[in-house]
Amino acid sequence: MSNEGVIEQSTAGLMQLVAAGEELIGYIYPHTPLELFMAHGLIPSLIRTLPQVPSGFEASLQTFACSYIRNLYSQRTSNQMPPLTGILFPSNTCDSLQNLGDIWRVRFPEDRVFRLTYPVTRNIIDDSTQRYLAEELRLLSESLTTIFERPFLKESYNRGISLVREFREGAKFLYSARVVNPKIISYSDVAQLVRVFLTTPTAAAASAITEAANSVKKMVTDLGIFENVESVMTALVNRDFENVQLPENLDAPRVVVAGGMIEPQALGTLIKDIPDIPESVITLDLLSFGFKSVFTPPLDESEDPFMEMAKSLLAAPGEPTQEGLKHRMIFLKDLLTNLSIHGLLICEQSFCDPDQFEAPSIERAASEVGIKTTRIPIDPELSDKARIEVRIQSFLETLTER
Amino acid sequence: MNGDRPSEEKPYRRLETQTLLQQIAFTGGLEALEASENGNLAWVTSGFPVEIPIAMNVGVVYPEQAGAIIGAQKIGPEVCSYAEDLGYSQELCSYARASIGSTEKPDEVPMGALPTPQILLACNNICGTVLRWYDAIAEMTGATVFLLDTPPIEAEQLPHHQEYVRKGVQRLIQFLEDKFSKPLQDERLAEVADLSSKAIGLWTRSLEACQKKPSPLNCADRFLTMAPVVSSRGTEQCVDFYETLLAEVDDRVSEGLGAVRDEKIRLLWDNIPMWYTLRFFNLLASRGVVFPADTYTHAWSGSIEGVDTSSIIDGIVEIYSNVYLNKGLDAKVDKMCQLIKDYDLDGFIMFSVRSCKRYSLGQMVSKELVTERTGVPGVIIEGDMVDSRVYNEAQIETRVDALLEMLM
Amino acid sequence: MGTDLGIGIDVGSTTTKAVLIDSSGAILAKSLMQTGASAVQAVDKVLGEISSMSGINLENIPAVSTGYGRARVELPHRTVTEITCHSVGVHRLNPDIRLLIDVGGQDAKVIRIGPSGRPDDFELNDKCSAGTGRFLEVMARVLEVSIDELGLLALKSTSPSSISSTCTVFAESEVIGRIGAGDSPADIAAGLHASMTSKIVALSKRVSFAEPVCVTGGVALNPAFRHYLSKQLGTELWIPDIPQLTGALGAAVIALQGLG
Repeated sequence: MSNEGVIEQSTAGLMQLVAAGEELIGYIYPHTPLELFMAHGLIPSLIRTLPQVPSGFEASLQTFACSYIRNLYSQRTSNQMPPLTGILFPSNTCDSLQNLGDIWRVRFPEDRVFRLTYPVTRNIIDDSTQRYLAEELRLLSESLTTIFERPFLKESYNRGISLVREFREGAKFLYSARVVNPKIISYSDVAQLVRVFLTTPTAAAASAITEAANSVKKMVTDLGIFENVESVMTALVNRDFENVQLPENLDAPRVVVAGGMIEPQALGTLIKDIPDIPESVITLDLLSFGFKSVFTPPLDESEDPFMEMAKSLLAAPGEPTQEGLKHRMIFLKDLLTNLSIHGLLICEQSFCDPDQFEAPSIERAASEVGIKTTRIPIDPELSDKARIEVRIQSFLETLTER
Repeated sequence: MNGDRPSEEKPYRRLETQTLLQQIAFTGGLEALEASENGNLAWVTSGFPVEIPIAMNVGVVYPEQAGAIIGAQKIGPEVCSYAEDLGYSQELCSYARASIGSTEKPDEVPMGALPTPQILLACNNICGTVLRWYDAIAEMTGATVFLLDTPPIEAEQLPHHQEYVRKGVQRLIQFLEDKFSKPLQDERLAEVADLSSKAIGLWTRSLEACQKKPSPLNCADRFLTMAPVVSSRGTEQCVDFYETLLAEVDDRVSEGLGAVRDEKIRLLWDNIPMWYTLRFFNLLASRGVVFPADTYTHAWSGSIEGVDTSSIIDGIVEIYSNVYLNKGLDAKVDKMCQLIKDYDLDGFIMFSVRSCKRYSLGQMVSKELVTERTGVPGVIIEGDMVDSRVYNEAQIETRVDALLEMLM
Repeated sequence: MGTDLGIGIDVGSTTTKAVLIDSSGAILAKSLMQTGASAVQAVDKVLGEISSMSGINLENIPAVSTGYGRARVELPHRTVTEITCHSVGVHRLNPDIRLLIDVGGQDAKVIRIGPSGRPDDFELNDKCSAGTGRFLEVMARVLEVSIDELGLLALKSTSPSSISSTCTVFAESEVIGRIGAGDSPADIAAGLHASMTSKIVALSKRVSFAEPVCVTGGVALNPAFRHYLSKQLGTELWIPDIPQLTGALGAAVIALQGLG
């Protein structure tokens, strides 16, 4: 299904939920505590960029605002957002999103705007970062209780935990299976399953992933590569590639996609549309709404909920907005070498500070391990589609050079 | 009258204290070089609690200031292009690009390439970009980055925020003690904090003197004289400088001398200036336009209260978290309205800096709010602080003229 | 696996080109025409022309298409990007070339050619028209000269104006400022060429510079562009006799070799 098709499908899903009396909280940053909203009986729904939206940002945002926030803003001015009860903005992630939250409050005073402030510090020995985020989560929980008169219910929280866990378990398996054999399920299909869950995190969306994972499990077992898949999954979860085992004679080229808040689904559609390029060249994405959302560690029901959620969010694969560039580059180099990767597509959201700052480091890291890279500036509207296609196809041509 | 007018008839008055700046910059440069050679030079961001490294005798330099110097020499585009050659986009912060570019090719930069750092001290109270910038410099130089994370504050600083930042400050002290194998001495910190407060107090009085009519200082005067308070507050030298500055300012006030000879219009300046063409302010001076206040130099005006290390740390936690850039659009609008009222200003110019998102995104909204609340008109002009390639002079002139026509 | 003949079709935004080569690489027929409103029709026409010129029925001859309209070709074929085709085409004409700079109306490309003739690395301009023929077109209009005159005018300059912007929009206002400041049109034109080539030089640094350098594309015909590019790169430039056909030639070579 095309990117547009999936958007239509998920919008329809959202409308059904609203018709059934559910209340949606929109969020825009990948590392959002889904279980917290579920604990309050609310449905967290990831607001996606739309490829076709009439531009409406000009009276409030300068042209150098990143293409992601321009798109979100334009969705709001053209009434193309889903029917939300509230919207959650992240704070202390990047300067553009930071200011967007402020601008939103002034321009749309009728919207219920929440904010969750994330600590940037990572890799420290004390637990001050976790305690800070836990308290932020508790305060958010308090205001959800007061504003919606919906208290935090342990039972709903536990249900949320198992729902999100089901999604992550299935998606992690699909991601890992594709690393071993990228043809086993198409990249777009996996991106679509993940996307549908993040937009409408329902039991149905989670079981769709479980079903897909079960059928892939059967296929990999029949092919005798189940253990390879397990070894990749363990490596990606622990970020330690020492025991990875890949089968011999892998198809070439194998490409990894690096980048931040680029839509995996949009990327899948883009590659699918390029003539003579099999989608299976994409072995793995490291995107925020893909890999990083999927490989966030699970929660333990028995521990303090706020501390647990904080720990999980802080242990998710790193973003360029956080401390730890060095660690991210070590992980990237390990991954590229141990997963037999030939090339790296570095996607960057147009005018995105964090993406554009990290890209040269990624280029250097990849070249240190002998991996070719190309940079793809991209915006949600794919306004430079023809050139992007040439970039990607040319890059793959340089990889097949024998 | 013949062509060459004597200097005292220029439309603006030159500040005598400015000559001291060159001396300070020269000594500062030598000290930084020495610190780098001795293995204890830190690069610090403008909003960093510099009192702590200074109290531990760590040499400090200030890359944002170096960016300004590179801009003022009009070599911004070249130096930035060295960073662009490495893959850093032209859309990124031009202070960062100038810094990365001059680190890559120091020999191509006559002034503004800083000595090699051993540590990089970043505080994200001014923007999130500083961490990524310093991470890039760390990759190039091998220096270690220490981030003091001060998450943005909504209305007031809550206890968990205080606790988190306090832990950060304690880790900073630990980091410096480990790195340079010497302890922070309580007495020395108290002394430095006191000197810092003194300098900030003197600086604030110079800023506030601009409420007088005519204003004793113009925008460019403050942009130049802010350097020591940003980079070396906590030193004797810094206090001396601001004593001299305040004396000159007070003299001007008592003699009724303005920074602009014939003051007619008083405007507020918002954002970092375009360092490559400070002439902009002088040209306006010839039309009687003065800028008694601006949001940039008023960004650093909180002084640390405290008598012992623990209370000084509390002061640092509070002051450095509460800079208005860390408090969102409302705080900035409040600040602008307050300045317009206190300094009796007729209008405002907002400089939309293409490569500075934290400071600039939101200006279109705050412009409306400020006018709504104060009744004074404003205009937005676009460009950049260092990268003159995106400065459209003709377009800017038209916009500023239109504003002045509304006020004349 | 080699065959006897190969067809290369290059469907660009302005012109469509086709080349038929034999197994020695010799060009049996070539055709070039405006793409116009319909890429499909332009492809039909160039193919018709090489067929009648060579007297050969094109059916069953392997074909490769390239250029922005590469997917618009109805003949059975494979598509390869112009990056690879230009690289292979130039390599066929001069195997020593290691860096190819192709500057057209909308595009600027820098390609590092590997020893086998395939690209090792490449860089393209982004959406912005800096460093492309479009930049010079806009500036020629501001200076009220034709695009052909602009290059000749620039060569007459004695002291080139300093134009710091490579962005078309900003440079345009800079030019207006220079005119206001009394700079001569020749000096401004020279400054513009220097600014435009500096953007190309910046692109070439991103792929790590290599020599010898070949320049293709319509802008390669502009003498001031060649002068400033050569000066800023500090190297001589090699220009093929048929600079517009290198993409189609490369496509034909790839078709012949059966590589993809």
